[in-house]
Amino acid sequence: MGLLALGTALDWPDAQKHANQVREWGIKQLLEIWNKAKHKEHDAMLWGDEIEYLVVKYCKDEPKVLLSLRQADILKALAADEELSDKGGCVPALQELESQRLNPLPVFHPEFGRFMLEATPGKPWGIGFKELLGVEPDMKNRRKIAKEHMQPEEYPITLTTFPRLGVPGVFTDPYYPPSGPKLRSQFVPDEIANPHIRFPTLAANIRWRRGRKVQVNVPVFHDKNTPNPWKDPTVNYDLHNWPEDDDVRNGAAPDNFIHMDAMAFGMGSCCLQITFQAKNIIEGRRMYDQLSPIGPIMLALTAATPIYKGFLADTDVRWNQISRAVDDRTPEELGEKPLKTSRWRIPKSRYASNSTYISTDERLRQEYFDPNLVIDEKIKAELLEGGMDDRLATHFAHLFIRDPIVIFSEDLKELDLTKADHFENIQSTNWQHMRFKPPPPGSDIGWRVEFRPMEIQITDFENAAFAVFMVLITRAILSFDLNFYIPILKVDENMETAHARDAVLEKKFYFRKNPFPNRPVRSSATSRSGSPTTSRPPTPFGPVEDEYTLMSVDEIINGSSSDEHSFPGLVPIVESYLDSVNVDVQTRCELSSYLDLVRMRASGELWTAAKWIRHFVDEHPGYNHDSAVTDEVNKSLVSAVIDIGDREQEGKGWKDLPIPNIEHLLGRFRTTGGCGS
Amino acid sequence: MTRIILSTGNVILDGPSIIRKPGTYRSNLELTNSLRNNISAAQKEYAFAFQNGNGHASHAGQNGQNGHSNGRPAPEVWTEREGSTLYVPRIDWESAGLQEDRSQYEITVKLFFLPIAPPEKRLDYIKEALRLVKRELGVDDVDLLIASFPGLAFEGDCEWEADRKNATMGNDEEEVTTWGLLEKLYHQGQIKRLGIAEFGTEKLRRFLDKVKVRPAVNQINIRNCCNVPPPLSKLAKEEGIELFTHHDSTDVLPSGTLRELLGQGPQGAGVLADGDPNSSGLKGEIIPEWVVKYTAFVKNRGVIENKGYFASAETVEET
Repeated sequence: MGLLALGTALDWPDAQKHANQVREWGIKQLLEIWNKAKHKEHDAMLWGDEIEYLVVKYCKDEPKVLLSLRQADILKALAADEELSDKGGCVPALQELESQRLNPLPVFHPEFGRFMLEATPGKPWGIGFKELLGVEPDMKNRRKIAKEHMQPEEYPITLTTFPRLGVPGVFTDPYYPPSGPKLRSQFVPDEIANPHIRFPTLAANIRWRRGRKVQVNVPVFHDKNTPNPWKDPTVNYDLHNWPEDDDVRNGAAPDNFIHMDAMAFGMGSCCLQITFQAKNIIEGRRMYDQLSPIGPIMLALTAATPIYKGFLADTDVRWNQISRAVDDRTPEELGEKPLKTSRWRIPKSRYASNSTYISTDERLRQEYFDPNLVIDEKIKAELLEGGMDDRLATHFAHLFIRDPIVIFSEDLKELDLTKADHFENIQSTNWQHMRFKPPPPGSDIGWRVEFRPMEIQITDFENAAFAVFMVLITRAILSFDLNFYIPILKVDENMETAHARDAVLEKKFYFRKNPFPNRPVRSSATSRSGSPTTSRPPTPFGPVEDEYTLMSVDEIINGSSSDEHSFPGLVPIVESYLDSVNVDVQTRCELSSYLDLVRMRASGELWTAAKWIRHFVDEHPGYNHDSAVTDEVNKSLVSAVIDIGDREQEGKGWKDLPIPNIEHLLGRFRTTGGCGS
Repeated sequence: MTRIILSTGNVILDGPSIIRKPGTYRSNLELTNSLRNNISAAQKEYAFAFQNGNGHASHAGQNGQNGHSNGRPAPEVWTEREGSTLYVPRIDWESAGLQEDRSQYEITVKLFFLPIAPPEKRLDYIKEALRLVKRELGVDDVDLLIASFPGLAFEGDCEWEADRKNATMGNDEEEVTTWGLLEKLYHQGQIKRLGIAEFGTEKLRRFLDKVKVRPAVNQINIRNCCNVPPPLSKLAKEEGIELFTHHDSTDVLPSGTLRELLGQGPQGAGVLADGDPNSSGLKGEIIPEWVVKYTAFVKNRGVIENKGYFASAETVEET
C-alpha cells in the first residue's frame, strides 16, 4: 500500500472541497518529477516482487479457522527483531551477520486488511540468471520469518481470499460485531481494516462519495442442490443501524449473486505483483504497453479465487470484486442519473484494467486507443504546456479524473515540490492492471512499471515461477522487440473473459497473431545516413482487425500452429531468449521447472488453484453440493494449505502428501528436493 | 578460388527465424533460416535501391545475360566482391556497432570449425572470424570465445552413455593445437575467457592435461538439463569450469545445405552455379570452413542487443 503518513484525515465533504487543490498540486509535482527524470538513463534492470499473506488462526481441535486480526502486533514483533539484528545483538555467528548484510532481511508491510501482511525482498533483484534462483528461497524465508513472529496457532497462508470472510457469526479473532460507523457493512466489522487512519477513511470516503455502500456482487456457482433462483441467505434485510442499511432493500443484493458490501471483500485479497525498473522512460513506457495485453492472460492462468463469503462463486479470479469494492463512482458517473454535479460519466472503477497506451513506439496505431477515453482536458493542457508529450499527458489526465479520497489537512498548507505526496494520492489510488511509476523525488530509482493482475499462488514455488516467468518475458520483449499491441478495448474484454470459471481452458482471448518486428532495413541500401532502426520502410498497415484473433491461453503461452494462425507462444519465446544467452546447466534446469509449471497450467496438464479448490470442496464429505462452503470444509481446506506450506518449508515436495488432487495442482515438482540431486 | 563470407546481420530482430517452433529441439535452422532471410532481404532492398538509381551495381540484371529466370536480382547487385572474397550479402557496416559503452556488454563468440575444412588453416579462420565480429560490434576484444570442434557431440538417450561415447570423438591432437592458437589471443587480451563445447568427462580430463590456459566454460547440449553426468559436473566443479547449456547443432552448416542456400534452385540465392555448363555463378566444389556466432548481451539489463552469424566457405574449381 502507499504512504502511511500520519495526520488529520478529512471526512469526505471536506476532502471533496480540496480535491482540485490536490490535483493541481499533484500535477505540479508530477511535472517537477518528470522534468528532472525524463532524461534519466542507463538504469539497471532491477525488479521486486510482493507477496501478500492472509494470517489465519488454525487449531486442530477447534471446529473453525479464523482470521487473525493481530497484524499490528505481528509487525511490531518483526520490527523489534529487525532492530535487534541491526545491532548484531542476537546474531550468533559473524558469518551470518555477513550474509545478512549481503542479503538484507525481507521487509514486512501492513496491508488494508488487518488480517493481511505483505512481504518484499530486502533489496531489489537483478537479472543475473543465478540471482533469479534466489527468489524462491527468499520467498520461503519470508514466510518462515513471518511465521516465527506469530503465535503458534497463526499461519501466513497465500490464498487470495479467506473463504469465509463476512459469514454470519464469528470469523475473526478477536471477534467484533459488524455494522460499525466507518464501513457500515452488515457482514464485516470496522476492525477488519487496518486501524491506521488512512484505511478506515479510505473505506468511509469511498462509500460517502458513492452515496451508498459498495456493491460487490459475484455470481454464485449453481451446484446440483443449489436453489434457482438463489437468494444469498446471509443478507439481513431488517437491519436499521445506518442509512446505508437500506441498500439491500433497494435491490443491492440481486438473486443468484453472493452479495458483499465493503471494501474489505476486495482489498482483502492477496495478489502477486511485480515491479520492473526500466533503462529509461522510453523503455518503461514500452514495457507498460507490451505487458498490458499479457495481463488478462496471466490473470486467467493464475486463477485462485473460487469462493466468497462461504459460497462457491461462478468466477475464478478476484479482479472484479476488488474493482467493485473500491468503486467510488457516483450514480451520475455511473450513468444511472443524468449529469448534474459530477463532471462526466466514467465507464470503469478506479480499480480496473488499463485504459490507454503510453509508448512512443511507432507501431502503436491510433486504432488501438479508446476513442471515448475520459480525460481532464484542463490537466492535459497543463501537462502539455509543461512540455509533456500528448500520449503521456493523456495517460495522467485520465488518472486525474479521479478525486483524492484520503486527504490529510496538514498536507494542504504548503506545496512541497520536492515531494510526490499529492501526485501519489491520485496515482496510487488508480489501481489499474499496470502502473507506470515515475522515479520518487530525491531517490536514485529509475522509471518503473508494475505488473499487477496475477493472483497469489498457494506455494512459493509457484509464486517464484510466475514472477520469474514475467521477468524473462520482459527481457524477451525488449531483446526481440516484440509487439503485442491489440486495441485497448480488447484488453478490457479479455479481462472480463478471464473471470469465467476455468477460463484458462474454456475461454479464448484476443491476442496479436504476429508479435515480431519488421526487419530493419539496411541503411546503405536506402540512404547513406541514419541508423537502421530509424530507416524502416513505411510498412503498409492492414486493417487492425486482421492483426489479432481469438486464442486459448494454451495457444498464447505454448504456441500453436493451427491452419488459421500460428503463434510462437510466450514460453517458447522465453526459451529462445534463454537459448541465446549464457546460462549454466543448473540454472537453466531450475528455470525450466518454472517454465514447465507455466506451460502445464496453460495446457491443462496441471490445474489452477481455483480448479483445485473447487474439486477440494466438491469432493469433501461435508459439502452438500449446495454451493455453501461450511466451516468444516473451510477448515479442511486451510489445513491442506498449511500442510502444503509446511512441506515446502521442509523442502520435501508434495507428491505423497495425503491431500486430494495435490498431484493435479503441483505435479511432481520439487519431489526430489530440487534439480540435479 | 573464391572465399564466400556469409552473414545474417542482427538476427535478434528477425523473430521467426530465431524463435524455436513449439516441439522442436535442436537444429541448425536458426543459422540457415536467418541466412536465407538476410539474403532475400538484401536482394529486395538493393534491387529496390538499384532501380531507384541509388545503387552501386553495374548494368547487371537489366538484360537477360545475368538476370535469372525466376526474377531474382543478379548477385552483383546485392553481394560485394573484395579481391577474392565475396560478401553474401553485401555487409552493411554502417549499422555496425553497439549502442552503449563496451563495459555494459558481455560479448560471447562461438566459433565452429567445420568438418571438411583443413585444420591447418584454423589460424586464418580464427583471425578472420574475430576480425568480422569485432568490426560488426565495433569492439576490440570479446569476453568469451567458445571453440566448437568438429565431430564432437553429446548424444544418446542416457547422459551416461553420451558421456562415454564422447570420449572417443573428435581429434585430441588437432584440438589441443587449435587451443594453442587461441591461448595466444587470450594472452594478447583479445579474448578474456576461453571455452569449449561438448567435452565429456574423459575428453575434458585429457584436454586439461595438455593445455596451459584452462577453459573457463564447457558448453554442453543435453536433452534434460537436470541430468548432467555426475563425473562431468564433479570434474567441472573441481577445475572451476562452468557448464553452460546450448542448443546448437555441431555440424551447423553442412555443404549440402550451403549449396542449396546459394545455388540456382527455387530456394537458392543464385550465387553458385549448378551442374549446367551454361549456368551463371561460381563454379566448383564448395567447402564450408567455419561459422561464428556472436552475441552482445547488456549485462545489467538482461537484454540481447545484437546476435548474428558469419560463415565462411571456399569454392574450389575442379581442374
